Amino acid sequence: MAHTETRQGSAEPNAAGSQRRSFWGALLGNSSYDAVTRVLFKTQRRQFIILASFPLFWVLFAHLGPILQMFWISFLDSYPPTAGVEPQLTFANWMTFFEARIFMMPFFRTLGFALTLTLTTLLITYPVAYFLAKHVRRGNQLMFLLLLLIPFWVGEIVRTYAIMILLGNTGAVNLILQWLGLTDRPIPFMYTSFSLSLGIIYLTSLYMLLPLYSSLEKIPRNYLEAAADLGAGPWRRFFRVTLPLSREGIASGCTLVFLISTGYYATPVLLGGPSTTVFAETIAGFFHVAGDEWPVGAAFSSIMLITTLTLTGIFLKLMGRTGKGLME
Amino acid sequence: MTRSTRILMSVIYWAFVVYLFVPLILMVMMGFKDSAFIGFPIKAWTFEWYLGVFQDTKVINVFLYSMAIALSTTFLSLVIGTWIASFLGPYKFPGKLIVFALTCLPAVIPGIISAISLRIYARFLDIDPGMMAIILGHTVHNVPFVTLVVMARLATLPKSHIEAARDLGADSIVAFFRVTLPYLRPALIGAGIFCMLLSFDDFVRAFFLGSYQPTLPVLIFAKLRSGMSPEINAISTVVLVMTAILGIWAERSMRRMNKGTE
Amino acid sequence: MMGTDDRKAIVHIDNVGKSFGKTRAIDNLDMKIMAGEFVTFLGPSGCGKSTTLRILGGFERPDQGRVILDGVDVTNRPPNKRDVNMVFQDYALFPHMTVGQNIAFGLELKGKSRSETDQRVDALLEFLQLSGFRDRTPDQLSGGQRQRVALARALAPDPKLLLLDEPLGALDAKLRTQVQVELKSIQRRTGKTFFFVTHDQEEALTMSDRIVVMNAGRVEQDGTPEDLYYRPASRFVAEFIGETNLLEGTVRGTKDGTVVIDWNGRNVYGAAHDGDPRPGTAVAASIRPENVICLPEAPADDRALQGRIVSKLFKGNRTSVDIRIDEHDTKTITAYMDPAAADQFAGETVWVTWDKDRLAVLAN
Repeated sequence: MAHTETRQGSAEPNAAGSQRRSFWGALLGNSSYDAVTRVLFKTQRRQFIILASFPLFWVLFAHLGPILQMFWISFLDSYPPTAGVEPQLTFANWMTFFEARIFMMPFFRTLGFALTLTLTTLLITYPVAYFLAKHVRRGNQLMFLLLLLIPFWVGEIVRTYAIMILLGNTGAVNLILQWLGLTDRPIPFMYTSFSLSLGIIYLTSLYMLLPLYSSLEKIPRNYLEAAADLGAGPWRRFFRVTLPLSREGIASGCTLVFLISTGYYATPVLLGGPSTTVFAETIAGFFHVAGDEWPVGAAFSSIMLITTLTLTGIFLKLMGRTGKGLME
Repeated sequence: MTRSTRILMSVIYWAFVVYLFVPLILMVMMGFKDSAFIGFPIKAWTFEWYLGVFQDTKVINVFLYSMAIALSTTFLSLVIGTWIASFLGPYKFPGKLIVFALTCLPAVIPGIISAISLRIYARFLDIDPGMMAIILGHTVHNVPFVTLVVMARLATLPKSHIEAARDLGADSIVAFFRVTLPYLRPALIGAGIFCMLLSFDDFVRAFFLGSYQPTLPVLIFAKLRSGMSPEINAISTVVLVMTAILGIWAERSMRRMNKGTE
Repeated sequence: MMGTDDRKAIVHIDNVGKSFGKTRAIDNLDMKIMAGEFVTFLGPSGCGKSTTLRILGGFERPDQGRVILDGVDVTNRPPNKRDVNMVFQDYALFPHMTVGQNIAFGLELKGKSRSETDQRVDALLEFLQLSGFRDRTPDQLSGGQRQRVALARALAPDPKLLLLDEPLGALDAKLRTQVQVELKSIQRRTGKTFFFVTHDQEEALTMSDRIVVMNAGRVEQDGTPEDLYYRPASRFVAEFIGETNLLEGTVRGTKDGTVVIDWNGRNVYGAAHDGDPRPGTAVAASIRPENVICLPEAPADDRALQGRIVSKLFKGNRTSVDIRIDEHDTKTITAYMDPAAADQFAGETVWVTWDKDRLAVLAN
């Protein structure tokens, strides 16, 4: 460092710049850098181990760690630990779930909701994806897709609020219904399973649409033409060619929507009512209090995680694929 | 396909667009209503709510707080995700599929469970609820997306480019910074904006990992629980406009990358 | 042996071997490359030529043996620690850098000052007729221009050895011929040692001072283009390089500097060399179509074979004539003739002969 400064000081101002070496050249010429990298990169094997160390640490520490810790806590009788008291192992937290109807009900309601909503979303978005992939000219597809993506970027809370305004007693839907004379007093849409379903479909539909679109887009047009040549009618073509070939998109889309819709917390709180309590709310209840309810919450979360992942695993297996291409 | 089904499908498409846009348009409109009561019809219009939001130091602080979290998260996610991708992409080793599955894990865990497990984990690591915990949570959630995007881009980098750099005197570090990183640029821009959006819009992790200082979605949630007001619409609209612009930008840079023009 | 007399060996490939799994990519390769030489490694894909190139470049480590570069053992040095540069098959130009930045890359990393780098880049651009292209990016260049930029980039750090990995493969046929001439002239003017790898025999013959033909990890022949063409050392070389007639027979004996081969009961004559196979061994005699002389009448010596023209193919600059010698054998001898001369052979009967020096006797 000192060398460069003295050299710069003595040289002509404009020549100084051109006499300098580039940063990377200087780095490679630096003797301490050379000494360090000589040790670090001595063999290919050593280089690989250095490259691998941090990613392995990160996925174990930050990706797997929280899940394992949650499982562990679910078997403790108290957490966070209090000073001087050794936590004991117990199955009680897991048993709590099976003992009370108020815990089981939201659990099965959540699964039922998620399954119904997944299917509904599939039925709603399939024609949209098909239209985009097969009837819109290739050059325009990006425009049409972007139109759907813009609302998608807006966050969960803002969009939930938008649904609240739409469905409220003085909301746009009721205003129109009254104006049309279909009803004389506002219909209470809010805080029902209807408002909740509409909201969740509103939030998740793009997770279904995008995988469907990309799998439908990949189907070559001449497949359908070939099927038509062989005398297949439109419905037969759809069920024998298009649908099987878009299986991949259906599998990814359904998995995503199912997993995401079981995980919403704010939306059920804001759009649902007492009759629509979902399991996320049940779990969250154990964490509002700072006390020893955490282990029960952890057990309930574990139950939900195991159930959802098992269900999606079975589903993907039935659809004939591994979870590999899931996140495309 | 017959003509009638074609028309039917285009009707379904446009109905779907209306379904996506109308609630948001109504929400934006409501922010201009000259009355504290949320509901239709709107009889008088005003900018008052927006002016209020821009003058409210609390809202501005919350916005800056969310921004700080989003920027830190984005930076960390890009570094970690790129590192994982450079390790998982080019190398073959036993157990690679398991490491890949673990990398994707946070992206497939339902939101509430992700939030709860991170809450417990933060306690375990002695990280107090607040900014640090949220940044950690958001980074864990974002890393899978960055990794997948970067891996996809990395797969298209010809091996000869790295070899050419090595041949011309670069060690593996210099080759990464001079050749690989510039090649990843469009992927990093796209993934980075995506991370900003995910972090900025996230409610459930910020809610369970945060302290008394709320992030913007948590603030909106808290305000909603104490009653709707056009002020919330004004805040939401600002968020909406920002996220939409960022989203379009991210989408554009990703598309351009996939087309290979960059 | 090549003229090792006054030139020094810049590279010594010392008994190098390399396997990938069970495949032996290089089997005990041992050779010296002289300074300023244009050496081509020629062979079909998978013959080990590219592996040799990658070992010289430092991208592969040999399982055995050493690589000595200008007297220094570089076997275990990574690519960035040896004075060898490479022109890649796909050129591997950095897409985010301009032509100038691409060429300057190696100089910068060598720690050259900015002014020195600038001068050298300018000189190379001019040398390779790229002067106006300094600020363009690679995607704004044609295939031939890209190839020259890749060459300039590899020449910039002044390497002791330049490796070229099939750099003409991406060019169209017409441009390729022109670039061959250019490349040879660049090599002459710079005096650099070029190590060129290709599967294209025409490229190899046009440019090289020396050609090494490889097959299945072994050297089949190492010699000048003329050596390889007229005196192939093996059947593989004879068939791989150019077109040839292979006459399968047995050696009858040698007499007065002429070797006589029994081919389907007829005598075929070639020049005798030391180490020719003993009488009685099965051999293949190789004679190039352009060396086959066709005569309308039987010549004075009784060495010509009588045959019948079964087909004539007009190919523009020549006519390819197939002659059947034995009516019971479908095997024909191909001869190239001047199209005008070919027309003279109105009748079908023809006598075929050749200069005996042009016939190569190859052990089976």
